[in-house]
Amino acid sequence: MNNAVVTAAFVSLAAVTLVPALYVVNARNLVHAGFAMLPCLIGVAGLYALLEAHLFVAVQVLIYIGAILVLILFALMLTRDVMDPQEGQRNGLGLWAGLTCGVGALVCGHILFHHPWPRIAEHPLGAHDQTAALGAALIGRYALPFEAASLVLLAALIGAIVVAKGSRPSRRGAVSQGAVEP
Amino acid sequence: MIGLPHYLLVSAALFGIGAYGALTRRNAISVLMGVELMLNAGNLNFLACWRFLTPTSMEPQVFVLIGLTVAAAEAAVGLAVVLNIYREHGTVNLDRIAELRG
Repeated sequence: MNNAVVTAAFVSLAAVTLVPALYVVNARNLVHAGFAMLPCLIGVAGLYALLEAHLFVAVQVLIYIGAILVLILFALMLTRDVMDPQEGQRNGLGLWAGLTCGVGALVCGHILFHHPWPRIAEHPLGAHDQTAALGAALIGRYALPFEAASLVLLAALIGAIVVAKGSRPSRRGAVSQGAVEP
Repeated sequence: MIGLPHYLLVSAALFGIGAYGALTRRNAISVLMGVELMLNAGNLNFLACWRFLTPTSMEPQVFVLIGLTVAAAEAAVGLAVVLNIYREHGTVNLDRIAELRG
């Protein structure tokens, strides 16, 4: 790919990522904010594609969009009636948080563009070889972290079920079907 | 020519936006959405450094894979906690949930 195409793709993907991200943190209607996460996550997947991390494009779409975003939208819809869109969605920290995050990002940018990054001419492996090498690393040298990650997932699964099941019947009559009434 | 600093700048901006959302929102689920944006920024950072600094090694990809696992676990447990808070208190407004305040 020539440079102009890569630059145009990068700029448009960065815009597709950052503009909806700003809407996510500023929108008054939380369901709109949840749906605005979709272009943001797709933009990050596109940036992964530009970075030639082929497997993670699919993983980003499957896990972030297919699982986490759907989970967030379900949670928003299950709790929506208490959050009136007309009511303010912010606490009093807006000014200070904006200042801190903005100045932090600007300082990061300044440092990034003045650091003497090494120039590496190597290119990553192709999609097939790269995925094969990642799989070999996961069952070879990184088998222990891989198993630890599966244990974390199992613990999170059981923990989420136990927490979401609840112990007391609901104040609002919203007990799930599986919960046992005392 | 797009290089490493450009990707890291996008990542820093995404992290800043996510941190702003996590700090200023009153709804617990919105706070979790801000945290998800921050986790995405972290993964983008890892993959940008992998592509431009160590393109032939697989370590950064293993990091990203495990980061994704932790993000999924965080989302599941976090939303379960939020739903339980909603059931107990009838609200997910973090300003009104102050039982543990000393």
